[in-house]
Amino acid sequence: MIARHPLRLKVNGHSYELEVEPHRTLLDVLRHDLALTGTKSNCQAGECGACTVLVDGRAVNSCLYLAVRAEGAEIQTVEGLAEDEALQPIQEAFVQNAAIQCGYCTPGFLVSVAAVLRENSRPSLAELKKAVEGNICRCTGYTGIVQALAQVADAAEGGR
Amino acid sequence: MPEKSVAGQPLVRLDARSKAAGQYRYGMDWSLPGMLHGVILRSAHPHAKILNIDVSEAKRLSGVAVALTGSDLPEILMPGMVSDQPPLARDRVRYAGEPLALVAADSLATAQEAAGLIEVAYEPLPIVDDAEQAMLPGATLVHEGWQEYEAAEGLVREGNVCCHSTLTRGDIEGGFAEADEIFEGTYSTESVHQSHLEPRVAIGAVDSDGRIAVYTNTQLPYWIRTNVAHVLGVDEAEVRIVPTGIGGGFGSKLYPQLEPLAALLARETGRPVRMVTPIEEEMIGGLPRHPCRLHLKTGVKKDGTLVAREARMILDTGAYAGSGPELASVGVLVLSGPYKTPHLKLDAFAVMTNKTNFGAYRGPSGPQAVFALESHMDEVAEGLGMDPLEFRLKNVVEEGDEAGNGQVLSGVGMKEALEKASAAIGWGEPSPPNRGKGLACGWWTTTGGSSGCLAKLDVGGKVVLTVGTQEIGTGAIMAGVPQVVAEEMGLRLEDLRVEVADTATGPWDFGSQGSRTLFNVGRAAQFAAQDLIVQIKELAGEEMEVAVEDIELREGAAVVKGVPDRRISLADLAQQSLNERGGLHSRGVSNPEPAKYDNSRMISCFYPAFHYPSFFCHAAEVEVDPGTGIVRVVRYAAAHDVGFAVNPKLAQGQIHGGVVQGVGMALMEGIIYEDGQVVNNNWTDYKLPTIADVPEVEAIIVEHPVEGGPFGAKGLGEPPVIPPPAALANAIYRAVRVRLRSLPMTPERVFLALRDAN
Repeated sequence: MIARHPLRLKVNGHSYELEVEPHRTLLDVLRHDLALTGTKSNCQAGECGACTVLVDGRAVNSCLYLAVRAEGAEIQTVEGLAEDEALQPIQEAFVQNAAIQCGYCTPGFLVSVAAVLRENSRPSLAELKKAVEGNICRCTGYTGIVQALAQVADAAEGGR
Repeated sequence: MPEKSVAGQPLVRLDARSKAAGQYRYGMDWSLPGMLHGVILRSAHPHAKILNIDVSEAKRLSGVAVALTGSDLPEILMPGMVSDQPPLARDRVRYAGEPLALVAADSLATAQEAAGLIEVAYEPLPIVDDAEQAMLPGATLVHEGWQEYEAAEGLVREGNVCCHSTLTRGDIEGGFAEADEIFEGTYSTESVHQSHLEPRVAIGAVDSDGRIAVYTNTQLPYWIRTNVAHVLGVDEAEVRIVPTGIGGGFGSKLYPQLEPLAALLARETGRPVRMVTPIEEEMIGGLPRHPCRLHLKTGVKKDGTLVAREARMILDTGAYAGSGPELASVGVLVLSGPYKTPHLKLDAFAVMTNKTNFGAYRGPSGPQAVFALESHMDEVAEGLGMDPLEFRLKNVVEEGDEAGNGQVLSGVGMKEALEKASAAIGWGEPSPPNRGKGLACGWWTTTGGSSGCLAKLDVGGKVVLTVGTQEIGTGAIMAGVPQVVAEEMGLRLEDLRVEVADTATGPWDFGSQGSRTLFNVGRAAQFAAQDLIVQIKELAGEEMEVAVEDIELREGAAVVKGVPDRRISLADLAQQSLNERGGLHSRGVSNPEPAKYDNSRMISCFYPAFHYPSFFCHAAEVEVDPGTGIVRVVRYAAAHDVGFAVNPKLAQGQIHGGVVQGVGMALMEGIIYEDGQVVNNNWTDYKLPTIADVPEVEAIIVEHPVEGGPFGAKGLGEPPVIPPPAALANAIYRAVRVRLRSLPMTPERVFLALRDAN
C-alpha cells in the first residue's frame, strides 16, 4: 500500500481536503475524486491538450502534473469558467462560431485561452493562436476555432 | 415550397453550450458503482503460434477478479463478410497488438500489473508484411484455414486475398485500341489513424434482470449488439447497448473492439467492468485506414476524351478481413471516377498481412483511390499538353449520365464544383516561382440502410425526438435532424430535444456512419414529424371546433388559418393530450431505395453503388521550399455538392475539418511499421496537424438537390477528407515539377525527390 498524502486543493473557488497517493495526476484527482469530468482525458503524455487546466493562473497539462504538487494552489477547470451559469465570452465565441463539433477538445482550448486572458486582457489573434498550439482538434480543422479566437481578439480590441 | 426559416439556417447546435460548459457526458465520463477495470494483454509478435499462456501468477495478485484467455471462451469467430476473427487469439497471433488475454481488477494499476505477470510462450512464424508479396503463389498464409471460414456468398477470395472486386464496362482491349495515347502510373499510400480525441471506452455491466448492458462510445450500437450477443452466446435481445456521448469517431468506433470483452468480464465477475484503449494500444490495434498500392492505365483521344481505364488497387487489410471486402468494391467505384469513361476494367484486392485489421476511416478507400486517380489525371493532361481544368471539364459526368457501374446519375453538381473551386484560387493566373496550383475531383455515396425516429409532443410544448444512433460531432443529430423537424412543425430549433436511446428501447438504426446520418435519420424524423402534425391538428381541431384542414402549425401553436388570434399552444395541447390520449407519439422510418446499377458489370462487389451520390472538387495552391522540402498550403478551396445544406455553418465545418484531416494524410501522417511492429504508436511520433499547420480553407457549398433526402440534402460527412492528398500532389508538381506518387509527402520526401530530379 502506498502511503497517502493529505492534499488541500482549491478548485473553481471551492476548497477540498483530500488524501491522495503521491503518483496520482491532477487530472485523475479532478475527474475521479472531485467528479469534475469537464476536464478531458486522453493521451496521458501532454500531446493532445484535452486535459488543460489552470494552476495558479498558468495553463498546464493536468495529465503530467502530480496532484500533490498542486498543494495549496488555485485550480481552475472548464467548469469554473462560466459565472453564475452564464457562459463567458470565450465560451460564447466558441458556440457562435461552430468551433465545437465533438467537443472533446473544447475544454482544453477554452482553458488555454483563459490563461492568456488572465495575463493580458487585450491579446491579439496571433497570441491566442499561439496559446492553443498544444491543443489538438481533429474535427474542425481549426477554422471555427480561429474564428472564435478572432472574435475574442476583436472584442478585446473594441475595449481599448 | 414557402421560404424556410429553420432548415438552411446557420443555427447553433443543441449540444454546443453543454460542451462549452464541460457538462456534456462522453463515454469516458461514465462510471458505475463497484466498477472494476479491465485491461488487454496484447501479442508482442506479429505472427506466432501460441504455445502456452499462463495466467496463474496474475490471478494470485491481490485485487484481481478474473483473468481470461482465448481458451476460456467458446471456439467462435466474429461475424463479418468473412468470419475469421476470434474475440481473443487462441492458438495463433496474426498481428503485434492482437488481444490475447484479459484481466479485471479493482484498480487499473492492479489490472496492468497483473497483465504483466501473464507469461506467453510464442513460436514465431514468418511475417507477411507486404500485401503485394502476400498475393504471390506460395506466400505464407495469414490464415491457413481460410477456406473453412464462413463468408458472404459471391465473395471471390483465394489465399491471402479475402476479396477481389471487379468492375468491367465495355471492352477494355478495344478501348485501348481506340485510344491515341496511353498513360500509366503507380501510386502508394500509408495507413493513417482517425485520431479521435476521445479514446475508445466500454463499460460492461449486469442489469438487474441478469441481462448484459454495455455503455460504449460507439457509432453503430446495433452492430455492437450483434457482436456482443454472439460472443456471450445469447440472443440479441438479451443484450442492451447504451450509446454514450462520443468524442470523435471518423469510422474508428463502428466495429466492436472493447465491447464484447467488457461484456465477458462483467458476466464473469458480476460487476461493472470498464475498459479503455490507451493511445499506445489504439495505434497498434485500432482500425486505421488501409495502406494501398495502385496501378492505373488510361487511354485517351488526342482531344482529351477519356476512352479506357484499367486499374488495380491493392488494399492491405491486415490480419483479418474486417471491412476490406466492402472497401475493395468502394475502391473500384471511386476509381470509375466522376468522369465519362466508356471502357473500364477495375480490380481491387483486399489482402491479408500481419498488421492490425485496417478499417473504416472517414471516406474509406476514397483518399487512396483519388490520390492515384487524380494524380494520374494530371499526368495524362500533361502528356496531352492540356490544362488539368480543361481536361477535367471535358470529361466530368453531368445530369443523367451513366456511372461506371451503370447507375444513372441525378443531382450532379460536379461541373459547378469544379468551376467554383478552381475559380476560388485564381486558376489560370500565373504563380510566382516555387508556387503551383492543383485540382482533385471525386464522387461519393450517401450510405443507405434504415433509420427510425420516434417523436412525441412533451409537456411544455417541446417536441422530443428519440433516435437510435449517436451524435458523433458532425451536428447531424444535434442540429440537422431537429432543424428538419422544426422546419416541418413551425418550431424553433430550441423547441426540439433529441434523445439517443439504448438498443432495448429505441428505434433500429444503421448508425452514424457513411455520410448517411442526416439523410436517413433526418428523413425518418421528417416522416415522424408529419405524423405528429396530423395528431396535433386532430386534437387542436377538437379543442377549437374547426376542421383539421383549417389549422396550421406555427410559432409553437396550432393556429386557425387566416384567424391568427384563434390558436392553442402546443404546451396546452400537450397537457390536454395526456389524460385523453396518453400523449401524442409518432414514428417515422427511412429506408431509401438503393441505387439501381448494372449487376452484370460487378463481380464480388459488396458495396456496388453510390446511393444519392455527391460530387466535389478541391483546389489548392502551395509553395514549396526547395531548400527544406517544406510544403506550405497558400490557398485552399473545397467545393461540395451537398444537395441542400440544412445547416450551412455546420456543413462548412465538415468541409474545414475533413480538409485538414486530408492535409494531415497528405503531408505528415503515417503509421510506420518495421518488421511488423508499429514504431510510432503515440502522438509524439505520429504527427497530427495543429493550429499552426493548417491553411485557411474556403468551403464552398454547391446545391444540386436529390429527391428523397430531407429538403434535397445528401451526404457530406466523409467526402471532404478524400481529395486533399491528390490536390496537394498536383499543386506540388506544378510548383516544382516533381511528381510525388507516395504518401505522405513529408519535407524529407519532397526534398529527396527534388534532389533526385536535379
